[in-house]
Order: sequence, then C-alpha cells, then structure tokens
Amino acid sequence: MTSPYKRIIGLTVLTFILAMVPLIVKSPYYMHLLIMVGMNAMLAMTFILMLRAGLISLGIAAFWGIGAYVSALLALRLDLSFWMAMPLSAIITGAVALCIGCVLVKNPGFGFIIETVVLGEIAVLAFAHLPLFGGYKGIVSIPPVDPIHIPFLFSIEFVSKTASYYLILFLFLLVAIGYSAFYSAWTGRAWLAIGLNPRLAESKGVNIYRYRLLAFVVGSAGAGLAGSFYAHYYGAIAPTTFNVFKTIYIHIFAILGGVGFPVLGPIIGAFIMILVPEVLRVAKEIEPIITGLLLILLVLFLPQGLLSLLSRRKKNARPVG
Amino acid sequence: MLKVNKLTKHFGGLVAVNEVDLHIDSSEIVGLIGPNGAGKSTLFNLINGFLKPTSGEVFFEGMDITGFKAHDVSHLGIDQSFQASTLFQRLSVLDNVFIGYHMRYKTKYWKRLLRTPSALKEERAFRKDALEILTFMGLQKLRDEQAENLSHGHQKILGVCMALATKPKLLLLDEPVAGMSPTETETMIELIRKIQEKGLTIVVVEHDMKVIMSLCDRIVVLNYGRKLMEGSPNEVLKSDEVIEAYLGKAEI
Repeated sequence: MTSPYKRIIGLTVLTFILAMVPLIVKSPYYMHLLIMVGMNAMLAMTFILMLRAGLISLGIAAFWGIGAYVSALLALRLDLSFWMAMPLSAIITGAVALCIGCVLVKNPGFGFIIETVVLGEIAVLAFAHLPLFGGYKGIVSIPPVDPIHIPFLFSIEFVSKTASYYLILFLFLLVAIGYSAFYSAWTGRAWLAIGLNPRLAESKGVNIYRYRLLAFVVGSAGAGLAGSFYAHYYGAIAPTTFNVFKTIYIHIFAILGGVGFPVLGPIIGAFIMILVPEVLRVAKEIEPIITGLLLILLVLFLPQGLLSLLSRRKKNARPVG
Repeated sequence: MLKVNKLTKHFGGLVAVNEVDLHIDSSEIVGLIGPNGAGKSTLFNLINGFLKPTSGEVFFEGMDITGFKAHDVSHLGIDQSFQASTLFQRLSVLDNVFIGYHMRYKTKYWKRLLRTPSALKEERAFRKDALEILTFMGLQKLRDEQAENLSHGHQKILGVCMALATKPKLLLLDEPVAGMSPTETETMIELIRKIQEKGLTIVVVEHDMKVIMSLCDRIVVLNYGRKLMEGSPNEVLKSDEVIEAYLGKAEI
C-alpha cells in the first residue's frame, strides 16, 4: 500500500504539471479535448474505486447521467447557480446509488454486472421518455458555469476553454483527493481485502456488504459530480450519451492506464484514448481498427496497464488492486 | 465456552453434519478428527458463520449465535485459519495481519478519514500490535514481503497470525500442518502450544495424528457427519469403532 505521504507528494507534483498545460497548449480545440480527458478520467477513477471493492459496474455512465440531469434541472427549474447545483447533484446521485445499491450490492459477481447494465439502460429510457427530462432531444440551453465574483478584486468567468480547463482540473483533484482519503484510510484497506478475497475479509470481521455499498455510493457521487460539470460545460444533454457503451469506454480508459494506479492511470488512459483517435483522423475510416488493434496489443502484452511499465523496473513495487 | 446442540446441515440430499453435539471448555485444545468427508470443515463453517445450519443451535459464551454472519461471529471472538493457505496474496505480510484490526477502531469515521492525530495514534498502536504478533510467531523478518512470495509453511503461519489479529477467544485451526515438512510441523506445534499458553481456546482439525496426539486434551471423532466418539487421545486410539472408521472392518 502506498503511504499517505507519497500520495500527497504525488498529487502535488501532478497538480503542478497539469496546471502548467494551458501555458503550452493554446488551441481551444485541443483545450476542449483535454477538458474531456479530465472529465473521463474522473469517471475512470470511479470505475477503479468500485473495482477495488470487487464491484464491476456497467452502470457508471448512468450515474454520470443522473448527475448531469439533476444538475441541469436544478439550474433550469430552481434557478440554482452551478456552484449550488454541482454539490447537490453529487449528493442526490449518491442518494440514488444508496437506494439502488442496497439491493444490488448484496450479490456481486455476474449478477451485479448484468443488473447494472439493465439499470443503466432503464435510466437512459427514463431520461428519454419522462417529460421532465425532455425526451430524446434531451435538455438544451443549460446555463453555463456561473462566474465567481470576488468583491473589490476581480471575477473569474468561465467563458474561455482555459478557465473550464482549470475548473475540471479543480474538480478532478477534488475527487482524486477524496478517493485517496478513502484509499489511505481503513476503508481502502477494507476494500482491497474484499476485492482480493471477500470470504477471508469477512472472516476477519469486515462487513463486506456495508463496505461494498460505501464504494458504490462514493463512486456514484463522484460520477454525479462529473455529470454536473458535463451538463453545464456542454449546455445540452441527450439521453443516449449515458448508455452502456460509454461505460465500456470508461472501463477501457482505466484498464489502459492500469487499474493499480487509481489517479494517474485514468489520466493516462483517457488521454491516449481521446487523443490517439484525433491524431489518426487523417485516416478516419480505419481509425477504429487501429484503436482496436492498439487495445488488443495492450491487453496481450501489458495486462496491468501502461503504467505497469514504470513499476516493472523496481523489483518489489507491484501494483495492488 | 462453545456449545453446539444437535447441529445439522443438509446439502441437498446429502447430510454433511448430522445432529452433532459439541462442548468446548475454556483454554483447552480439542482435536477434531475423522476420515475425509466426515463433515469436519462443514462443522467449522457452521460455527464461524460461513454456512447456515439446517437445524440445531450454536452457543458461544452463553449467547445464541446460530445463523450469525461471519463478520459478526468474528466480532464476538471466534476466528480461524483455513485449510488451504488463504491469504491476501498481493498484500504485504504486515498488511495481511493488519486487516484483522478492522473492527477494533474506536475513533470516529470522519476522524479516521481526515487522519486526525488521535486516529493516527490508533493506527500506530495497531501497527505495533501487529508487529508483536508477527514477532511472537517468528515472521517479523518477512513483514514487508508479499504474502504470495512466502513458502507454504510460512503462509500457513501467516494464516494463524491473521486469525490472532482479531484477538479471538476461540481459535479454529483447519489442518494447520497440511503439506508441511516435519521440521515445519514441529515449529507449528510449538506455536500452537504458545498460543494456548496465552489463554486461547483452540479447536484443531488435522489428519496428522502425531500433531493431534501431542497437542490435544480431548479428541472428537466424526464419521459420516455423526459424532462417533469423544475422549482422551489414548481412549480414541484404542477404540475399535475409530479404527474401523478409518481402516474399514476386518473380515475374518
């Protein structure tokens, strides 16, 4: 297990590097892609968190969607600012996860995977058919992120891509620090134990049901936060965005980077999966084939993810989880 | 300390454990023997909460614990080491033992999450205690090694360390020396004695009769899910019934 001090130093260095990026990247288009990397990395972190506790959820995108819809509705119907709607949507998403998780988490394994697929698709259908959610067209004209006014000094407006980049960086770090706090505390140990051997963990006094539920709720709240950002950043959301294929991509981001690296892995994975297709755009017809080929090669030769290359050199440092 | 009344477990049509009565007093070592398939491991799993009995009762220190979940039974003070070396393979030896401290936290959830001084102090105390267990069992030098890199004998010892971490009053050992070399077996016997001297009650399932003979005050023999007999090691060894159960009936 990584010591908490190493985690803190690692996060600080990472923040510094990521904060420097807008000084180099000037193109708004590439800034937009990096913002997408940040948001998808948040979702991939959620996948890793649940995986640690032995839960493979194919419904992460649905919870991302719940966060997006809740945030959009709070802003449109109740006139709440983004800064109010964002935490509220994370809390509501977590509450929904608690209600559903109570039942689902009882029987993890294949049943759980299928149930999350089904529930995810039910969520998509609900978004598409309930009048409240605006049907297949979704919800449009969601107000953008409200500016922050600091009296007598200045105000920060979130119009430029750079400002949005810093916002997603902030949210990413918020979730990364939150998850890391769980990882380095006793909860992380309990999750790891459950993920590695649930029966043994249970015999050592770990209430596996409660800890799995905790992972499900915390992870879903994180996904809800990402959803809130997505809704306000895009200004429009549509139900089919949140289907199971999105979740599969989230899994790929995490696995590509390496599930043993809960913060860095998702960034690397999402970065490659989002930017490689862009670079290959010249050959648009064969792009999916090349991307697919890369993934197959990766699974064959680096099953622990790209970042396992780093720890292979050190003899004892092996990824855990 | 532990009292089992007419405990029965059916797996479909198979009766794995059939109306077994068992009575274990404080700080004794009881051996549980019987041919393969006699229901020894099933009986363990009924006591520690992995399986729910079909009928019958289990009392621990006067409390009815029949059908309790495994983690609740663990909280009450029953822990076990498993037949196969069941460990968290990818964790270090120390972290493996550390899992056992899970239920002993006294500080509040949020304090532990924010790592306040009192929570960190508690963690340090647990770490020290875990190291003491490893030292007691002679594994302190291997504390940072990954569990999967340990030899089979050390893995079995680690399994017992992990059980000790929950500070059980009753320790169930399922074939503690299976697959061990004679020297490793000697070490394990010594360790089990040392554990008993600390005041723990121990139930051992074992095929190695040498171990049973040298450790146990009392032996319970199971066959086809039923209790065949119960008595001191010498009584059991001389019993015709037991010899018959193991070797079959002599035909003259």
